[in-house]
Amino acid sequence: MGFNFGFALSTIPIIIGAIGTTLLATVLSCLGASVLGFTLEMIRRGGGAPGLAVRFLIDFIRSTPVLAWLYFLYFVMPFYGIRLGAMTVGILGLSLYYSGYLAEVFKAGIDAIPRGQQEAARALSLTRRDTVIFVIAPQMLRNIAAPLGNYLVSILKATPYLAILAVPEMLGRAFDIASETYRYAEPLTVAGVLFLALALIISYGVKRIEKLLLASGRR
Amino acid sequence: MLDRPPLPSALQSVPLVRINGLNKWFGAVHVLKNIDLTLRPGARVVVCGPSGSGKSTLIRCINGLERFQKGTIEFEGRSLGKSDRDAAMARRLTGMVFQSFNLFPHLTVLANCTLALRRVLLKSAHEADEIAMRHLTAVHIPEKARAYPAELSGGQQQRAAIARALCLDPRIMLFDEPTSALDPEMIKEVLHVMIALAKTGVTMVCVTHEMGFAREVADEIVFMDQGRIVEHASSSDFFSRAAHPRARLFLDTILSH
Repeated sequence: MGFNFGFALSTIPIIIGAIGTTLLATVLSCLGASVLGFTLEMIRRGGGAPGLAVRFLIDFIRSTPVLAWLYFLYFVMPFYGIRLGAMTVGILGLSLYYSGYLAEVFKAGIDAIPRGQQEAARALSLTRRDTVIFVIAPQMLRNIAAPLGNYLVSILKATPYLAILAVPEMLGRAFDIASETYRYAEPLTVAGVLFLALALIISYGVKRIEKLLLASGRR
Repeated sequence: MLDRPPLPSALQSVPLVRINGLNKWFGAVHVLKNIDLTLRPGARVVVCGPSGSGKSTLIRCINGLERFQKGTIEFEGRSLGKSDRDAAMARRLTGMVFQSFNLFPHLTVLANCTLALRRVLLKSAHEADEIAMRHLTAVHIPEKARAYPAELSGGQQQRAAIARALCLDPRIMLFDEPTSALDPEMIKEVLHVMIALAKTGVTMVCVTHEMGFAREVADEIVFMDQGRIVEHASSSDFFSRAAHPRARLFLDTILSH
C-alpha cells in the first residue's frame, strides 16, 4: 500500500475544514493561559498566604500530565455536577496547564527588569496597577517575546489532545478518515504538514513582533 | 552664593520637612542613627560623606522609598508615619532623581515625562505634552523629546530624568548622587542644569561628592558618617572651619585633587 497522492489531496479539504477548530482552541487557550499565568504570577509576587498557595498550585500544575487534566475536567467534574462541553473543557484544560509554565516565563521576564524601574514608578506616585500596566508589563513582554512565542507554538501542538474529548480538530479529523478508510499515511501526513505550516506562521509572526518590541527603545 | 527670589516671610518660619530622631536598620545593621534635620522652604542642602554613611538611605526615607523603624518625619506639620498612605503623600510632594537615571527604556523621553502627568495628575494629553516640553526645554533637550532613552548620552538621560521629576511640580527635589554614573564632561552639563534649578528657588536636597557644586549652590551642608550627622553647617562655615575631624579629613582628601 504505497502513498497515494490523489487520496492525500482528497483529504486536504476535509482536514482543513477542521482548521477553524484548531485555531480557535489555540487562540483561546493562548489567551486563557497568558491571562491566568500573569494573574498567578502577580499573586505569587504579592506573597503572603495567597502567594504561597499559588506557588504550590503552579508546581502542582507543572508536575502533572496535561492528559490527566483533560480527563479529570471532562470525566470527573460531572460527578460534582459540573458538566462542560468538550471544546470548553479542552480550552480550559490547556489554559490551566500552560498557565503554570507561562507564570514561570512571566516571572523570569519581570525579574530581569532592574529594580530602579519600580522605584522610579513609585517616586512618580504611579499606582501599583499603573506601574504594572505602563512600566512592568511592556518591559516584561520585550524580555519574554521569544520564550512566550515558543509556548504559543507548544499550545498549538497540544490541541490534538482535544481529540480524546472528540473535539473535531485537525488531527482528530485525520484520524477519523484513517479509521474509515484504513489508510493512515495520507491523512496523518496531511495533518502533520498543516500543523507544520501553522507553527511556522506563528513563529514568523512572533519573530516580527519581537523585532518591533526590541526596535522601540533598546536598553 | 546664588541670588534667589525672597520667600514670603510666613513661609520662612514653617519648616517644609522636619526629621526627628530618625532611626533605620537594614536587618541588624543600624544605618541611620538619631537623625535630626529640618528643611525650610527654599533650602539648598548638600548631603555628603563617605560611602555607606547612610546619605542615600536618608533621602530615600524622606520620600518614602525606604521605611524606617523609629522617629518621625513631618511634611509641613503633617506627620509621615509608617503607613502606605503617608508614603504616598511624601512621594507626591517630592521629586526624585536617581544615580542610574531609571528612565523607562520602552518609552520616549516625552512619554517618560507625561506618564505621571496623565496618570497621576490626570492632565489631558495636550496639556501634559505642553508641561513636559516646558521642562525639557529648561534642561536643554527639547529636540530629544521623541527619542528613546537609549539614544541619549548619559548626561542627556539624567537631564531628562530631572525634567521628568519636575513635571509633577514637587515641593522638594531629591538628588541621589545624580552625577556619580557620568563621565566628567557630562557631569558638567547636569550640574549646570541643577544650578539653574537652584536659582528658581526650589527646595533641593542633594547627595553628592561634587564639592565645587556644593560650594556654589548649597546654603547648608550636612556631613554624615556611619549613619550619623556629624556636621551640619552653613556652606561657608563648613568649607572654612568644619569642626569634626572626620569631616575635616573628608574635605582634605576630596579638595586635594
